[in-house]
Formats: sequence, structure tokens, C-alpha cells
Amino acid sequence: MDDLLVVLFAVVALIGTVGVYLQRDRFNKLIAVGIIYGGVVPFIVDRGYLDVAIAVSLIIPITTIIMLPLCRRQDHDA
Amino acid sequence: MTPEFILGCIILIAGVIAAGFPREKTYLSRLINLEIPAFGLLLIMLAYDETLALMTFIGVTAISTFVLVRVIERRDAG
Amino acid sequence: MIALYVVAVIAVFGVVRATLERNTGRKLPFVNVMNFAVAGALVLLLDHPLALVAAVAYFVGSTLEANAIASTYAGGDRRG
Repeated sequence: MDDLLVVLFAVVALIGTVGVYLQRDRFNKLIAVGIIYGGVVPFIVDRGYLDVAIAVSLIIPITTIIMLPLCRRQDHDA
Repeated sequence: MTPEFILGCIILIAGVIAAGFPREKTYLSRLINLEIPAFGLLLIMLAYDETLALMTFIGVTAISTFVLVRVIERRDAG
Repeated sequence: MIALYVVAVIAVFGVVRATLERNTGRKLPFVNVMNFAVAGALVLLLDHPLALVAAVAYFVGSTLEANAIASTYAGGDRRG
């Protein structure tokens, strides 16, 4: 991975980070967390930790899915 | 100073600020913002070549998110 | 070698379009563009047999996440 690729994937992760902070809607925030996840996984694969990459790829979506019923409940109350 | 370490520090500091001073002061907003420093710390651990620490950290992040979602659900219901 | 750069630029394009989009429903297809591009980049990044498994795991996980968000946003089965 040379400098251009590092910059491109770092831009993906940083845009996601700024996006989570600036969005107000709950679903937009969750989508931005997904964008950070897409920017971080190439760095893990580039270091050669493929087993860690597999574990991260399977656990982070479960974390998002755990949070989803909470979003739906507050939407239902409001 | 690998690129993972620099990107991880930037995301960690931005995430701590976002989790400490969210734009919308609800529990759910703080919980979603808490995902950002987790990714930053993941990248910093990646720069130090500790496979077991990465695996444990990912698992504990998922379990703590589950616990916090249960706590917030109970708080909203009661 | 040029394929890796093309895929990374496509990922950045998808992220920029998804962030600038106002409507949540129209945001999700651009996030899918980024997911496909990153899954392609994972295969091209490393010459190792397990890289294919990692790309498959990323693809399955990200698709599951995007579909779960879309299902909850659209209402789904509203309980109670």
C-alpha cells in the first residue's frame, strides 16, 4: 500500500468521522459509522492480520444491529 | 510513526470530543458517537502488532454496546 | 496495479456522494457503492488465499448492516 492509497482510505475514514458528528438524524449517524468501518478494514488487511479482519467484519455489523431496536423504539414513541 | 498510528490518533481525539460534547444530548446520540473512539483505538492497537489485544478489544466493544443498549432501554421504559 | 487506484477512487466518490446527500433513503445506494469498492480493494491489496475469505466476510457483513438499517428505516415489522 503506497502513499496514495493510504491517503484515499484515510479520507474515507475521516469523512465518516466528521459525518457521524455533524449528522443529526439517527439513521444518518449509523450510516456514517458504516462508512468509518469501510475505511478502517483496508488498513487491517494491509498489515496482514487477515484473521482480525474477518473477526472485525463479522462483529461490527452485529454491534450496529444491536443498536437498531433502540432507534426504532424512540421513533415509535415520537 | 506508521500511517495507522497517525490516523488512529486523529480518529481517537475526534471521537472523544464527539462523545463528550454531542450536538444532540440524548443517550442514543452519545452511544453512537462512542463507536468512533473504538475505531481509533483499534487502529492504534494495529500499529503495535498485538493480535490478541485486537481480538479481545473487538469482542469487549460489542459486549459493552449490548450492555449499554439494555441499560438505555430500561431507563427509557422506567 | 491501476485497478487498485480505480477502486479506491470509486470508494472515495461513493463516500462523498453519500455524505452530501440529504435524503436517508438515497444515501444507502452510495454506501453500497463504497462497500463493493472496498470489498474489491481487499482482494487486490494482498496476494494471500485468506484475503478472499476476508473480502467475503467484509461483503457479507457490510451488506447485512446496510440491509438492516434500510429495513428499520422503512418501518419493518413494528412491534407492539
